[in-house]
Amino acid sequence: MSVRTIVVGCGAVAQRLYRKPLAQLAKRRLIEVVALVDPAAAHAQEMLLAFPAARHFTSLDEACGATHPELTLVLTPPALHCAQTLTALAHGSHVLCEKPMANSSAECGRMIDAATAAQRVLAIGMVRRFFPAFAHLRQVVQAQELGVLQSFEYREGHKFEWAVTTPAAFRPRSQGGAGVLFDIGTHALDFLLSVFGDLEAEEYADDAAGGIECNVAMKLRAPQCRGSLDLSWDVPQVNVLRIVGTRAEAALRLDRFDQLAVTANGVFVPRTIDQSFPVDIKRDGRRIVPLSYADAVLCQLVQVLRAISLGEQPAVAGAEGAACIALLERALDMARPLPEPWLSASQRAAAARLHGSAR
Amino acid sequence: MSRIAIVGAGGFVGTSLIESLVLDGHTEVRAVVRSYRNMAGFCRWGDAVEVRLADATNEASLVKAFEGAAVVVNLTTGVPAGIVQSTRAIYSACRKAGVPRFVHLSSAVVYGDVEQPIDDDALPLDNLWMPYARAKAESERWLRTQHDSDLDLVVLRPGIVWGVRSSHTLGFAHALARKSSFLVDGGSSIFNGIYIANLVAMIRAACAKPGKAAGFYNAGDAETVTWRQFYDALGGPLDCDPARLPVVSGEKFPWSLGAAIDAVQSQSLVNALYHRLKTRIPDGLKAAIRARLEGAYNFERHASQYAIAVAVNRELWHLQRVRHKLPVQKFARDFDFVMPVGFPEAVQQTVSWLEAIGLAVPTSESSAKLNRAIYS
Repeated sequence: MSVRTIVVGCGAVAQRLYRKPLAQLAKRRLIEVVALVDPAAAHAQEMLLAFPAARHFTSLDEACGATHPELTLVLTPPALHCAQTLTALAHGSHVLCEKPMANSSAECGRMIDAATAAQRVLAIGMVRRFFPAFAHLRQVVQAQELGVLQSFEYREGHKFEWAVTTPAAFRPRSQGGAGVLFDIGTHALDFLLSVFGDLEAEEYADDAAGGIECNVAMKLRAPQCRGSLDLSWDVPQVNVLRIVGTRAEAALRLDRFDQLAVTANGVFVPRTIDQSFPVDIKRDGRRIVPLSYADAVLCQLVQVLRAISLGEQPAVAGAEGAACIALLERALDMARPLPEPWLSASQRAAAARLHGSAR
Repeated sequence: MSRIAIVGAGGFVGTSLIESLVLDGHTEVRAVVRSYRNMAGFCRWGDAVEVRLADATNEASLVKAFEGAAVVVNLTTGVPAGIVQSTRAIYSACRKAGVPRFVHLSSAVVYGDVEQPIDDDALPLDNLWMPYARAKAESERWLRTQHDSDLDLVVLRPGIVWGVRSSHTLGFAHALARKSSFLVDGGSSIFNGIYIANLVAMIRAACAKPGKAAGFYNAGDAETVTWRQFYDALGGPLDCDPARLPVVSGEKFPWSLGAAIDAVQSQSLVNALYHRLKTRIPDGLKAAIRARLEGAYNFERHASQYAIAVAVNRELWHLQRVRHKLPVQKFARDFDFVMPVGFPEAVQQTVSWLEAIGLAVPTSESSAKLNRAIYS
């Protein structure tokens, strides 16, 4: 069974993350890419090299009408996610929408309602759910290996190096921009939500000063403990999540697929990571331990195919994607300027004046 | 100050310069970048920054990007093989676009280990081992041959640019936190550095001076600081006592396999090939190679044990052998310039940033140590 699939958005995400795993699935006849939708012919052309039988469209509505897809992959900038998801669902297609699910809770609500009404799968692309060390840490916490949770500290950042093909993400939020909060932040909060079950923002600060935020600091409350989240698009952070419990501390490297250590008698001991995910739509089919983005995206795509054909839950369903966006919105509502003590007093005052002026 | 076009605006110095200009109310800032991703570092300022896309080695695209600019600032780095080409293209584009002033960033590495006292107008050295240094030296030599009465040329030659958001500082801080750093000859040689806010102030002064402005200038902090003093200043908040770091001789470089690979890679042809290959290797493979080279990861926040033997990085070894501070009086004189941030204040700002990114741990003890290091 080949699932007739449309790819909407043929830019960096499609080319760098999805092309290879899609080609693998096409070769195994699990997927057939029937249409590529992108207003930029050059971007579509790049994807056509891998899927020469696919047709290029500039309109999703037209593509759906002409090719009757069973699955639509929404890989466009976030501002377009809601409208495109609604279009695909209206044509009876299941949807895998890349993170962030949308730019607002209201949009998320419309997407979920439409999927429910159409009785179609709405999955959100959160590829890190398929990073084996991340999955292992979730198990460690849920099995209470750390004891009673006391605190957590999530720090992730690096110079932005994603080869984006448009400036969309860098525009002010009022113009559809996403910023580091909706970029790395959705990964971070989705994962923390999956680990702790629930989260509430207690404080939020960012450095937006007329534009979109590049650095973010949050204080969060989980059911058992409090913690912090720091994200950056312009400087490397330590890229580690630390969770401290009464019995042990866990440290997860956020820039690796398979590096997690948990203390035993106060000393960090690296864990052997063997969490595997299905790469087949048979119930007891082959599984792999993903060690690259291509592997993880492959597992994510397979999970969506299994949701369609076997009725399994996607790794992240619409409701979970929406919970993450709702948390981001509540955080933004309490936004204050990020402390930058290294600036002069007059510069700090200017930054405070500019903060949030484009919200 | 009128419109400034900044080439290489997405890098460390570029984003710091933009931050300073915008926060001080400068309204005509133009970022010239090669690709959209370079906007990430200054997207926080929104419409206060005009963005033009141009390839720094493509004169035609630069001419368009420089239209109407009163000053062009060249902050590009890129691969060594492209540095000379981009310097020529930017200079030439300034002339064609009718830009009246060009501020070019060279580097103090053109003087190698500064074994003799050197003034601002000394020629760059010929036999430099580092590809980046060779490219910067060649660029400077070429610029010295250019004479155009309609285009002011100001060349700044910064030492190690340190401080908030500096990758050099991050490297030093990580090594200190891991207690895997080293001091050449006990750290007695000169730390030829310039704090980022001081460099930004110099660039702005070079852009803003009314009338004619031209010349080649060293760019360094006002104080003379040794490597030991620099490490002492940062070590406390990073839970590292530099007195316990291994001492390496400055007489003879301690070769290792890594250093040998580095030496082969520094050959011009090999280096060009290396950088070409780097762009073609898939990200996954690059990450795997990086992970393998990195070795075992230390999950501790700060290492508890000091390294006994360390792998000595050749570039850092040379930087720690600098014998003389580069004089900085010429710029002060010609531009009526006073360095705005002193070393103690710069250290405090840097530590506050290291705390913000979770590397340094704020404690009263570390602050006391820091103050002792600065004021003793």
